[in-house]
Amino acid sequence: MKKRAVVAGVGESTYYERGRASESEFQLACIAIRNAVADAGLALADIDGFVSYMEMRNDPMRLATALGCKQLTYTAQPWGGGGNGMASAVMLADAAVSGGYAKHVVAFRALAQGQFGRFGQARGSGYAPGNAAFSATYGLLSPAQICALQTSAFMARYGISQEALCDVALACYHHAQSNPRAIRYGKPLTREKYHASRWIAEPFHLYDCCPENDGAAAIVVTTPERARDLRKQPVPILAASQGLGDGDGAGAFNERTFPTAHKHVVGRAIWEQSGVTPADLDVVQFYENFTGPVLIAMCEMGLAPPEGIEEFVANGRLLAPHGALPMNTSGGNIGEAYIHGFECVVEAVRQVRGESTAQVPDVELSLAVAGPGFAPGSAVLFCAA
Amino acid sequence: MTRYLGDGWLLPGTDALTKRFFSAGKLVFQSCAKCGHVQHPPTDVCAKCQSFEFGERASAGAGRIISAIVAHYAVHPALKDRVPYNVVLVELDDTPGVRVIGNVVNRAPSEVKVGQRVRVCFEEAKDPQSGEVLRIPQWEAVT
Repeated sequence: MKKRAVVAGVGESTYYERGRASESEFQLACIAIRNAVADAGLALADIDGFVSYMEMRNDPMRLATALGCKQLTYTAQPWGGGGNGMASAVMLADAAVSGGYAKHVVAFRALAQGQFGRFGQARGSGYAPGNAAFSATYGLLSPAQICALQTSAFMARYGISQEALCDVALACYHHAQSNPRAIRYGKPLTREKYHASRWIAEPFHLYDCCPENDGAAAIVVTTPERARDLRKQPVPILAASQGLGDGDGAGAFNERTFPTAHKHVVGRAIWEQSGVTPADLDVVQFYENFTGPVLIAMCEMGLAPPEGIEEFVANGRLLAPHGALPMNTSGGNIGEAYIHGFECVVEAVRQVRGESTAQVPDVELSLAVAGPGFAPGSAVLFCAA
Repeated sequence: MTRYLGDGWLLPGTDALTKRFFSAGKLVFQSCAKCGHVQHPPTDVCAKCQSFEFGERASAGAGRIISAIVAHYAVHPALKDRVPYNVVLVELDDTPGVRVIGNVVNRAPSEVKVGQRVRVCFEEAKDPQSGEVLRIPQWEAVT
């Protein structure tokens, strides 16, 4: 934190529709890492640490061996399921290099849902064990359904309309239209098309839900001193946080602050560490497996009060280059590709570098906020050097 | 009664922690034997005083829907003939701080709304492994 670590390189594989990748998930991971390392101007042999989240596949021992890393001195994964670990992974990479445990750490996520199965489909028969007994017994199974129940409570409590969800989806699709990497490139969305689309889990239409994709994204984290002579402008990590409030780890929607996106602690930490405020932000990336929880996450990060969130996202305010606070400028999970949010981290870095396909002018502060559906939450704030 | 999602649908796994909720035949929650704290879902440690000893607290089962969805897309093959179905979250009048997931079994999905009053009811299902009869808490709309 506080610029003790920087992002020296970013990279990704080609992004594919689910099941369309000709490469294996492990090969996709290697492609993204190779591209990030080349972007930094480093050699694969220089990488001595790996961080990911959510899966035990693509483990660092296998990666270091396959990629010819000279030595491996740091491996880590955060706890917690889903895309909530996206920014935690950056935090752990920062901790590794600023603590002196490794020199050049790769944080990454690789997903091949064609190879390993989908998150949005349930299997099993007989019994729903443990805490699932309290949800699956009642047909509450998929992330879409779970996030819909979270969203419905928030909408009812604060009088949020369907238009606010639509505005999040429209921003993602809008930005995907200028990003040739995006799965939804060349497939624009209109408000009419959004409302006409079928329900998946009411209040979520089809376009409130991200697709499932195959691909990988990676960054290289090192110290400012080591990055000085590398190929690209280093992008400092100004603040990074993972967090969970008192009682907010309870299951089956019994968190003390329900309906929550698990960002109360994370939001406070980001502003305390950095010394800046939400009003200072130039551009944001919010993990949107589904539109609704983004609104909750924005409120908990301190961007707007719940009573004002509908206005905050309306009338093109989320659109680059000149909206009040452009959001998900590569298209995010919904528009670019569902790489479990790590494409949002890559895009947050590109915005500081001035390399986005929907570039916001003069970016000094670029925030990436992880998945809102599961605890603990995480976020990372990048800044100009 | 026939189960809302069909008699072949997943049964709750009943272990030492979950069994009472799904078999008591009344709405009961785990409560701490030392400090009386009520917590749901049940777990091994009291989140208020860290005791390991528990009793239970019964609820009269009257409450209000605070969140409601309608599942239109069947994410499990066994639910293809069951969509659309509703899932709700209920807060109880007499057990603050506890929320319970369920289905409103006596209304069409489109007639299930946040704010609606509900009362608990029970679906009976025989556990084929243990032979025991489960009584799974569900909800009836009263408004």
